[in-house]
Amino acid sequence: MGISSQDLKIITTLADSAQVGIVGVPPLKAIKAIGTRTILDLDEAIVKQNIEETILYLPRVYCAILRTVMLNGLHLDLDAIIIDVGPGKCDAARHVATILSDKLKIPIIQTRNNDQQNFGTPLCEAKMPLMDKMQAICTGVQRPTTHDNHKPCVPTAGFWGVPPRDFSILRYFPDTTHVFGWARCMENKTPDNWQLETMTDNAIPTIFFGQSFCAKTAMAKHLAARHPKGLFLDSDVTTGNSTRAKVQAFLELSGVS
Amino acid sequence: MLLADFGTTYSKFINLADDAKPFIQETKTLGKELQIDVATGHNGKRFCTTYVNELTALAKGGESLIGAESFTLLDCGSRDIKYIRYENNTLADMGWNAECGASMGFTIELLERYYEIDFSSLTPPATCFSITCGVLGMSHIFDEITTGISATDAVAKFVKSIAINAYRFAGEPKTIHLSGGLCDNPLFTASFPCEVVPLGRYVLLEGIRRITEEQA
Repeated sequence: MGISSQDLKIITTLADSAQVGIVGVPPLKAIKAIGTRTILDLDEAIVKQNIEETILYLPRVYCAILRTVMLNGLHLDLDAIIIDVGPGKCDAARHVATILSDKLKIPIIQTRNNDQQNFGTPLCEAKMPLMDKMQAICTGVQRPTTHDNHKPCVPTAGFWGVPPRDFSILRYFPDTTHVFGWARCMENKTPDNWQLETMTDNAIPTIFFGQSFCAKTAMAKHLAARHPKGLFLDSDVTTGNSTRAKVQAFLELSGVS
Repeated sequence: MLLADFGTTYSKFINLADDAKPFIQETKTLGKELQIDVATGHNGKRFCTTYVNELTALAKGGESLIGAESFTLLDCGSRDIKYIRYENNTLADMGWNAECGASMGFTIELLERYYEIDFSSLTPPATCFSITCGVLGMSHIFDEITTGISATDAVAKFVKSIAINAYRFAGEPKTIHLSGGLCDNPLFTASFPCEVVPLGRYVLLEGIRRITEEQA
């Protein structure tokens, strides 16, 4: 499916000054159609309002990323939202898209990104602070082009998973951390690439991160159990002390400086 | 050099310059001006110069006291539960449940005092509740009492529930090395469906002692 020609037309007829919210990794065709219009990634915590506002529309026990999408949708001045649903994002996004359609008076465009063109994953293997790396991966979704070249580094740790709601958890990883999981699929611009998403490096201590209440936590737990140096970790809206301590202790006791 | 494990309810100390016998003090009685060289524990950061991560302290304490290549060490504190699992001298898994496993030890102590229960006189009941948290688990006790069961028997079921929950959290091992104040609760240790080796309250303290010595 990708995106329908009708939906593409809606995007291309938006004003040049339009603000377009995106959720997940929209198909390349959609990103190209947005062109120079402003893109706001609704998966990220953009607005400062209390996330508890969303309990009017979503259960409190729900994926914090999608609660953030709802909060952003309620407060940002958007002209359209492109929300990827299905295997490239999650089924829960489809439900949130329905709720947003009921609540907002703007086009809510559902896409199913099954792009298979590989753009590469140089950022995932580059030497840089993991917070910066993850931010660059997320920002890269908004561009239809390849990433800058980065030399791969020798990895000393791994992070598998989705970009967390609270990036502060990434602060404790070394700069030589390689990124795996759906975040790697994001950089490659193939969010529905199961082989890439489940790829791991068994030689390095790896944290398998899941956003609490996200369906991908099952795979994170499963892969962590199979990995010789893996630890499953989940976190909700913010990173608590025990989560931080788990990351620190795991890296420390695994000999990662 | 003074080392401490500042728990939520009790703090444990050892002075390496003395005869190295640890001692314990209620955390609520500690003065604000107290300053320790190396510490761990929930309350540790505000009292020390050097802070050691609690899981790291637990792991190092386990390495030191257990002396096996493979083991599961579970720490049941007032506020949280955490475990470390080693296989062939390598870290295999760990967990720290501070939210959903909240206040288990603290709740058991409160109930012991309120209902004046002697846990050494009780045996584990045949059944238990389905609970994940001390605070939420209390409502099961009150509900059970309304059915005519004695408060002591209801609390016994609660204690067994806490033990079963901790056992599952630790990955259902054949043997659990147990750390923390609940080692002294015979009903709790007897409620595990596996072999339990109680190590007492000073495992984290032993961990930071070992780390300090390694770094010296």
